[in-house]
Amino acid sequence: MKNKLILLFAVLALVAAACGGDDDSADDGTDTTAATETTAAADDGTDTTAATETTAAAAGDVALRWMTRPDNPEEAAVYGDISDQLSASLDGVTLTYEPGSNEGAGYQQTLLTNLSAGTAPDVFWIPGTDIADFASRDVILDLREYADASGHSDTDFYPGPMGHLTTDLATGQPGGALWGLPRDVSTFGLYVNLDLIAEAGVANPLDLEANGEWDLAAFNDVVDGIAELGGEIRGYGQSAWWGPYGAWMNNAGGGFFTADRSACGLDSDASITGLTALRDLYSGDSVIPYGEDPEPPFRAGTVGLFQNGRWATPGIRTVDFSWDVVGLPEGAAGPGNWLFWGAYVVNAKTEDPAKAWALVEALTEASVQAQISELGANIPSRVSQEALDSFLTFSPPANNQAFLNGLQNSPSTEGPLWAGSWPEFVTLMDSEIQAVVTGSRDMADFQANICSETASAFGS
Amino acid sequence: MTAASVEPLSISSGEPRWFRPLLVWRVFTAVLLTSALIAVAVQRGIVLDGPVRWSLLVALLGAVVGAGIAIRGTLQQVHLGRFSGFVIDLLLMVVLGFIALNRMDMFTGIDAVGEAFNGNVGWLAIVILGWFVSGFADRAGPNQKILKQVAQWTMIAGMIVLTVAMGLIPGLIEFAQRLLEGDVILFAVGAVIAGVFARILWSDSAAHLFKTTQTEGENMDGMLFVAPNVLGFLAFFAGPLIVSLFISFTEWDGLTDAKFIGLQNYIDLFSDSLFLTSLRNILIFGVVAIPLAVFPALLLAALLNSKLPGMKLFRAVYFLPSIAGVVGVTLIWKQLFNSTVGYLNFMILKVTEWFNALVGTGWEAPQPQWISDDSIALIAVIILFIWQQIGFNTVLFLAGMQSIDGTLYEAADIDGAGPWRKLLNITVPMLRPTTVFVVATSTILALQLFNEPFILQSPSPPSGPGNATLTPVVYLYQNAFQEFQIGYASAVAWALFILIFGITLLYFRRSGDDGVLTS
Repeated sequence: MKNKLILLFAVLALVAAACGGDDDSADDGTDTTAATETTAAADDGTDTTAATETTAAAAGDVALRWMTRPDNPEEAAVYGDISDQLSASLDGVTLTYEPGSNEGAGYQQTLLTNLSAGTAPDVFWIPGTDIADFASRDVILDLREYADASGHSDTDFYPGPMGHLTTDLATGQPGGALWGLPRDVSTFGLYVNLDLIAEAGVANPLDLEANGEWDLAAFNDVVDGIAELGGEIRGYGQSAWWGPYGAWMNNAGGGFFTADRSACGLDSDASITGLTALRDLYSGDSVIPYGEDPEPPFRAGTVGLFQNGRWATPGIRTVDFSWDVVGLPEGAAGPGNWLFWGAYVVNAKTEDPAKAWALVEALTEASVQAQISELGANIPSRVSQEALDSFLTFSPPANNQAFLNGLQNSPSTEGPLWAGSWPEFVTLMDSEIQAVVTGSRDMADFQANICSETASAFGS
Repeated sequence: MTAASVEPLSISSGEPRWFRPLLVWRVFTAVLLTSALIAVAVQRGIVLDGPVRWSLLVALLGAVVGAGIAIRGTLQQVHLGRFSGFVIDLLLMVVLGFIALNRMDMFTGIDAVGEAFNGNVGWLAIVILGWFVSGFADRAGPNQKILKQVAQWTMIAGMIVLTVAMGLIPGLIEFAQRLLEGDVILFAVGAVIAGVFARILWSDSAAHLFKTTQTEGENMDGMLFVAPNVLGFLAFFAGPLIVSLFISFTEWDGLTDAKFIGLQNYIDLFSDSLFLTSLRNILIFGVVAIPLAVFPALLLAALLNSKLPGMKLFRAVYFLPSIAGVVGVTLIWKQLFNSTVGYLNFMILKVTEWFNALVGTGWEAPQPQWISDDSIALIAVIILFIWQQIGFNTVLFLAGMQSIDGTLYEAADIDGAGPWRKLLNITVPMLRPTTVFVVATSTILALQLFNEPFILQSPSPPSGPGNATLTPVVYLYQNAFQEFQIGYASAVAWALFILIFGITLLYFRRSGDDGVLTS
């Protein structure tokens, strides 16, 4: 008897959990409620949970699901709030927000699994490097006709991402298509431990930058000067993936691809110049060894300059030393940087493309981007003073402008490989660059062979 | 209740009332399943792509054949008709019920349950208290009956208040509304009818009608008991396994239609330098890590098996790493391994300084780059794996040791054997079945290595410097989720499965030869 009672109780409790609570949809007979339990995983592997309950689709409303990867729990909560706001403001649309990742699966796994199963949301975010793969497989919609009908202007967003987002599938060049709109952008900066700068007695990089003297030579002086403090102190650190070393190539005027991105450009003299500067830097003991995660020692106060994107800022705010951000030093080809971005795209299987496009537009409005930017991890992708002002309010760092300057410094825009496979190219490139930087592969050999070694990524 | 404790019986007493409705239901389910099969086959009504479609087709084909057998057996009133009809009804009940609940958005996750309980924990505590007290009331002496009743009524009252406070009444109304929405009611009614007929077929009267023997009845009862587990196994393990085998014979990116290419993925594996590198890495890893995770555990278990004070505490301490979350543990080790601020290199530095001061040497402390040096990156993963695994293996050995007959040791004591001799000549031989199990499970875990290199190397690529920490599962992940090569990744998975299966089989065959499996 007791067991049956407990069983009954468990069933009723589950019914109450699934249908009860603060449900207000039963107030009128026309509404329904979809309770969505969502778990968000931050980029750094820290998991958090944000429960979003989307209420009440009025009769005739189109229900749209959208998914984007938050950088941290706070961002997941803001996306949930934005979803509720837009659900109320957009005509004839009811929204459900999904962060897309959980304890067991990352964003990319979740998205790919959902797409395979045909259960992907109507609108979702993907990294800029995936645009070509998704577009060429007809997974996402070309939104140009809806954009033209709504009066959208491509020039409202930074040209780098829009170049990729308007690329024509047939030519592989920017053209008349529109695969989505960028959610946000980011650039690299150098997080500076001001206490170590003072202790080492080297020139402050922020002053050097202000005086127009922040070049590679000055950078090397600062790095070496800090490292001379000895012990575990190092002058500089960067992570071992394509973004950071890509920025060094860009500073030297090189890059991964040829100008039209149709072939490998790793063997160009400019690319080799950038890589050589990086290899020289890593040949000494002044830096965190290549391949080691430099963030823990930077946060421990033992690294002077730490190269990372804007997304690292919320985490850096927890350190207990004085810090700020400075732009990347000018390289052989002048100022340079890297422009990261991701985009909201529309599922090709959505039942209402027009409404989905309206959602993409709404999600990239200046006011929405301003809400996200206030959290400090994202730079607005829309060229909008309102959004930029919100971004600049997040302090520390005092010098938020360093990231915005990165947008002006001819950054190399990350992007897909329309003429080949970006994931395959990266897999092949990463290990060889690491070999060169750590000195286990000769630079001349690298220059002579790397493009033939990565040729399979271009289908040859 | 046991349903089938009867001998075969002729149906001279006539058909029971439920027999004709059952026949109608049998025909209806056969038509329904055949229609579903045709709909999936011709892509009308149920439009699915790729391996999902093929898997459903195979499942539906099996169900249609089963439905045909059930009709024939029902008409002939033989046990096969009862059994096949019972299986089909049971599966229909589960599948239709699942579809109905899913369409009602009832699968909301454990967080929703947590939220529903949130704020009502006090009432839940009363329920739990009532349950505990009623359980222990038997020991309450002369007042046990009153105490038990009071506790049970407290529990019932707590349940009522708790469910109402959690929103049960609006929840039931909402449940009813969702049930009546669209086609949900059809699935729900279908599930109930299937459940009713499954119950009828499990009854004594069905056993009589279908001439079920006692053995057949007992088999059916047994199968029913294991049915939940078998269904879970089929749905979440065997099903995906078979689908992945099919996918491994295709070129599939997970986004567009799969293209059948036969064994090409497997042929490509043999010439794929990265896959071969991953195999080499995992074999080196296994050869080093498995003995180091097993033999020290045996010695540790021998120590912990003593009756010294504090041993229970040490047993718990050594077991902790195996229950700690692998992500958290790996993140901590990542910090320890950090070449500039990690404690491991700090310890090496301090020990060297101490040694230099003691002996008067001037040795320079080595500061290995545990994670970024391709010559030792795999060693870092090995250290982490051993640390995680050794406690679990110790507990297994400890359990094995405590099951060894104590008289063997008494006899050895009489013969004058010392602790070391007893360990080698009694403990180790008697632990052979445990050792085989420990080695086999450690091998399987080692060959499936993924989380440790993935997290240790983050934010760098998980393959590590010079692909030093590239394992087959990491390579599988990269192919599936970064390069959109699901077909090829499935082939990697199956190649790894064959490797693990082969090695495990080898262990157990050798152990079987030695009589371990029969001991």
